Amino acid sequence: MPELTYREAVRDALVQAMREDEDVFVVGEDIAEMGGSMGVTAGMVDEFGPERVRNAPISEMAIAGAAIGAALQGMRPVAEIMYEDFLTLATEQIVNQAAKHRYMSGGQVSVPVVFRTQGGAGWSPGAQHAQQLEAWFVHIPGLKVVFASTPEDVRGLLWSSIYDDNPVVFFEHRTLYPIKGEVPEEIEPIPLGRARVHREGADVTVIATGRLVHESLKAAEEAEGDGISVEVVDPRTLQPLDEETLVASVKKTNRAVVAHEAVTRMGFGAEVAAVLQYQAFDWLDAPIERVGARFAPLAFAPVMEAFVVPHAEDVLAAIKRTVGKE
Amino acid sequence: MTVAKVEHRSSLAKGELGDVLREMLLIRRFEEKVEERFRAGDLPGFLHVAIGQEACAVGVCRALEDGDVIASTHRAHGHTLAKGTHPNELMAELYGKQEGCSHGYGGSMHLYDVERGNMGANAVVGGGLPQITGAALAFQLRGEPRVAVAFFGDGATNIGTFHEALNLAQLWQVPAVFVLEDNKWAESTPEWQHSPIRDLSDRAKAFGMKTLKTDGQDVEAVYKTARKALDHARGGNGPVFVHLETVRFSGHYIGDPQVYRDRGEARELSETRDPIELLREKIGVSGEDFAELDAEVTEIVEASVGFAKGATDPAPEDALKNVYA
Amino acid sequence: MATEVILPRLGQGMESGTIVRWLKSEGETVERGEPLFELDTDKVTQEVEAEASGVLLRIAVAEGEVPVGRTVAFIGAEGEDVPEVAEPVAEAVPEAEAPVEASNRLLQAEAQPWIERRSRPEPGAAANGRIKASPLARRMARERGLDLAAIHGTGPDGRIVAEDVERAEAGGEAPPASNRLLQAPVPAGEVERRPLSNVRKTIARRLTQAWQVPVFQLQASADMTRVNALVAKLREREPELRVTVTDVLTKVCAAALVRHREVNAEWTDEAILLHPSANVGIAVAAPQGLVVPVIRGAERLSLAEIATLRTDLVARARENRLRAEDLDGGTFTLSNLGMYAVESFTAVLNPPQAAIVAVGATEERVVPVGGELAVRPMLTLVVTFDHRAVDGAPAAAFLRAVKEGLEEPGLAL
Repeated sequence: MPELTYREAVRDALVQAMREDEDVFVVGEDIAEMGGSMGVTAGMVDEFGPERVRNAPISEMAIAGAAIGAALQGMRPVAEIMYEDFLTLATEQIVNQAAKHRYMSGGQVSVPVVFRTQGGAGWSPGAQHAQQLEAWFVHIPGLKVVFASTPEDVRGLLWSSIYDDNPVVFFEHRTLYPIKGEVPEEIEPIPLGRARVHREGADVTVIATGRLVHESLKAAEEAEGDGISVEVVDPRTLQPLDEETLVASVKKTNRAVVAHEAVTRMGFGAEVAAVLQYQAFDWLDAPIERVGARFAPLAFAPVMEAFVVPHAEDVLAAIKRTVGKE
Repeated sequence: MTVAKVEHRSSLAKGELGDVLREMLLIRRFEEKVEERFRAGDLPGFLHVAIGQEACAVGVCRALEDGDVIASTHRAHGHTLAKGTHPNELMAELYGKQEGCSHGYGGSMHLYDVERGNMGANAVVGGGLPQITGAALAFQLRGEPRVAVAFFGDGATNIGTFHEALNLAQLWQVPAVFVLEDNKWAESTPEWQHSPIRDLSDRAKAFGMKTLKTDGQDVEAVYKTARKALDHARGGNGPVFVHLETVRFSGHYIGDPQVYRDRGEARELSETRDPIELLREKIGVSGEDFAELDAEVTEIVEASVGFAKGATDPAPEDALKNVYA
Repeated sequence: MATEVILPRLGQGMESGTIVRWLKSEGETVERGEPLFELDTDKVTQEVEAEASGVLLRIAVAEGEVPVGRTVAFIGAEGEDVPEVAEPVAEAVPEAEAPVEASNRLLQAEAQPWIERRSRPEPGAAANGRIKASPLARRMARERGLDLAAIHGTGPDGRIVAEDVERAEAGGEAPPASNRLLQAPVPAGEVERRPLSNVRKTIARRLTQAWQVPVFQLQASADMTRVNALVAKLREREPELRVTVTDVLTKVCAAALVRHREVNAEWTDEAILLHPSANVGIAVAAPQGLVVPVIRGAERLSLAEIATLRTDLVARARENRLRAEDLDGGTFTLSNLGMYAVESFTAVLNPPQAAIVAVGATEERVVPVGGELAVRPMLTLVVTFDHRAVDGAPAAAFLRAVKEGLEEPGLAL
C-alpha cells in the first residue's frame, strides 16, 4: 500500500474532490501560492487556479460566511481557518448561521460546507495558537465534528465530510502533519460516525482522539509489559459519536480511560465518560479515568507547556489506576 | 431554479404603479394586522414590523430578476411579501404552523422561502451579509447571471460582518448588492449616537465600492436605483452599495413604547413621509378607488389570519427533525 | 356595535398590566390614536392609544392589575348599549414550580476537581454503612447470590471489585483461574465444578444471612411412647394416609406455638412481629437442594389433614414442582433428620423466623421412670432461637410445651 504523510493525505482528499467536482473549492488565508501556513494546499493553486484555491484577507467571519453562502447555493466549499483558535472569530457564522439554516427553514436548505482547521500544542505556539476547542462544537446541534489521527483516516474522512450535506468542523492536529501512514491506493470514503479500534485488549479500554491516539498506543505498549492488556479506540468522528463501539469495548474490558489533548475539565471526554457510565454502569469495575490538559492556558516556556499538556505517561498512569495498580 | 432573462425596464412603467401601490398597501395592512394580533396575545415570540419602509422592500424586489436571491433582517415581513411569499404562508409562520413558509421552525425572524429566492431572515444583526457575499461568489464561479442582495439597517453598518462582507465582496468583485435601509435608528439608539460619521455611504466608499443613494420613501426612485445597481453587479462590474433613506414609523419591536423617541417627530414623519401616501398622490388615486384597494388587501390579510388560525400545529416531536440533512 | 377596548399585550412575556389612570372620562369623545389610559408594565409606564374613534361609553376597569386580553372599556356611538363585564377576578398567579431539589448528595460534593486529587478519602468514609463496591462487582454479587458484606475488597480504598467477588465465590482460597491479573492460573482437570443453581444460591444467601443472627439453643428429650402408639393406630385405621411422627411433631409444635406466640415470631428493625397462626415449614431434602414447604395454620388442622398436605408437598418438592405459595409465609421450621440415625443436631435459623426445631432419630434409651430403670423410645429435640426476638424463659416454656405435647398428645388438642 502506498504511504502518505497526514498532510499529504489531507491534500490528496482535497485535490481529488476538486478534480471530480467543479462545485468543490477551497478558501482561506495564504492558501494559494504559499500553500497554507501548514503547507497543506501546497501546489494546488497551480493545478486549479486562484478562483478555486482562493486566498482571502484576514477576515474569518467573512471567510466562514462566504463559504456558508456558497454552500447554500449548492456548492461544496472547504474553508480553511488557519488556527483552531481563530475559530472563535468565525464562530458566530458557524454556530448561529451554518448550524441552524436547515432547521430554521424547516428543511428547505442544507449547508454542505467544511471548516478545516488545525491546532494543538507542540513547539511553543503560545496560548492563542494552541487550543483544542472541539468541545464547543460538539455541543451545537446541526454541526458535525471530525478529528482524524492517521493519514488513512484523515483522507477518507475529509472526503466524506466534503460530501456530507451538513456543516462539518474538521479538526487536524499540527504535530500529526508529518507522520506517515499506509493508505489505500484509491480513496476509501470513511463514513462519519464510525470509530476505529487500533489495538485490541482485555483489561482496559482507552478512548483517545488526535495526538493522544498515538500517545495512548505508546502507553498501551508499556502497559503490556506490566501484564495489562489495553484496547485503544479512536472515535474519529466526535459528532455523531459511535457510542455502540465504545460501549461494547468497555463492556468487554470493564474499565475505561478517555484521553484527549484538550483541557480535561468540561471537555469532550466528560461526555464520553457520561455515555459510558450510563450505558455500561453494571460493567464498570473502576471509575472512568479522564486524561487531558490541566486547567490552564498553554504557556510559552517549553517546560510549562509540557507540564500542562498530557503525554503517554499520563495515559499509562490512568491505565494503572483503573486496574488498581498505582 | 429558472434563470430566465426577462427584459425589465430601468424604471417602473406607469401601468405598473397601481400594482406597486397595492403591494405596498398589502404590506402595510399586513403589518398592522400583525401588530393587532400580537397585542391580542395570539402571536408568540419577537415581532418587528416595517411600517413606513414598504417602498424599500417593494422597490428593490420588483427590480430583481428570476434567480436573484435576497437575505433579510429581523424586520423581514415586508421583504418576504415583496419577494413573493403568499400572506397566508407568512401569517401561518408567525402563528407557528406547519403551513408557514418555514414550517413553524423559524418564526418572524427566520423567514425562508428558498423557491422564491429568499435565503432567510436573520436575527443576528449583520449575520446574513457574509453569506450574500458567498452566494454571489457561487454565481461568479458558476458563471450564472444572478445577483445576491442583502438588506440591512444603519445599526448593522457597525458590526464586524458588515465590514468583512463588503470588503471581501469588493475584493472579489462578486455580483452582490448591499441595500442599506437607513431609518436612522438602531433599536433605541439614534444614528448620531451609534455612528461617528454622518453619511453611511462613506463606509462603502471606504472599501472602494460603488455607492448609490436615494429617497427610500419614493418607490419609483428606489426601483430605478435598484435596477442600476443590479445591472452593474450582474454585468460583472462588482458589488454595489445602495443607500436608502427611510423612516421607521413604529417602534423597534411591537410593544416598544419608544420612550427614546420624540413623539411629535414620529408623528410628523408618518404624516409627511408615508411612501403609500406619496405614491397615491403622485398617481392621483381617488378616495373611492383607494378605499376599494384597501378593502381588497384588507380582505387578503384577514383571510391570512383565518388561514393561519386554522392551520396545523407541528407535532412536538417535529422539533427533532431537520437538525441534519 | 360598541368596540371593546382590551388590555393590549405590549411585549413578549407580558401577562398582565396595571391601569394607573384613565386619560379620558366616560362620555368623552376619543379619536383613534389619542392616548386613552396609562398602563404600568414591568418595564415602563406608558400611554395606550385608542384603537377606535367614538365616545368612551364605559370604563369597565378603573384601575388596578388586569390580565392581557381583558376588556377594560367600550367605545362606540352615543347612547349605544354596552354589555356587562364581570369584575376582573384576580386570576391565580400560577405557582412558580418548586425548584428541583438537588437530592443527589453527589451534587453537593466538594467542587475540587477530582482529576487532580490523589489523596485518599477521609477515614471513616465507610462509616455510614455503605459498602464500597464497583458496579460490576455489585451486579456479580447480586447474580450469584453473594452477600457483599461478607466479601473482602482489595480494590483502591478497600473497594470490592470483580476479582474479589470471583474469589469469594470460589471459596476465597486460590485465586480464580480466569483472572489474569494475578499469579499463575490454578491448573484445571481434577476438580469438579458444580455451577450454582438458583436454589443453591438462595440457600447460601439466606443461610449466610441467618448465620449473622445471635442465637441460642435449648435441648430436650421426649418420651415418644404415646406418639408411636398413636401413629401405629392411625396407620392401621387409614393405611393410605401414612401418618408419620413428623406429622405429629408438626401438630404438637403448632399447638405450642399458638400458646407461646413469642416464639411464633419474626424480628424486624422496627418491631417484633408475632404471627397469629402457626405456619410450620417442613425441611425436605429435594434433589435440587433443601426446600421448606409450609403447612399453614397447622394448629387448626387434624393429623389426617396435616398428613395429606405433607404427603403432597413432599412429593412435589421431590419433583421440583413446588409453587411460590407453597414456600411462603412460614413462621417456624421443623427439620427432621431422624431417618438418618442422627442423635441430635442443631439447625440454622430459617430467616426471618425466630425459631427452628431440629429433630433426630427416636431411639431406645435407658431412662429412669418412677425410680426404676426403663427402656423408652426417646427423641432429642434441639430448638434454635433468635435471641433478639426471644429470651430464654419463653423459649424454654415453649420447649416444655412441645415435650409435654409429645409425651401426652391429648394436651396438644
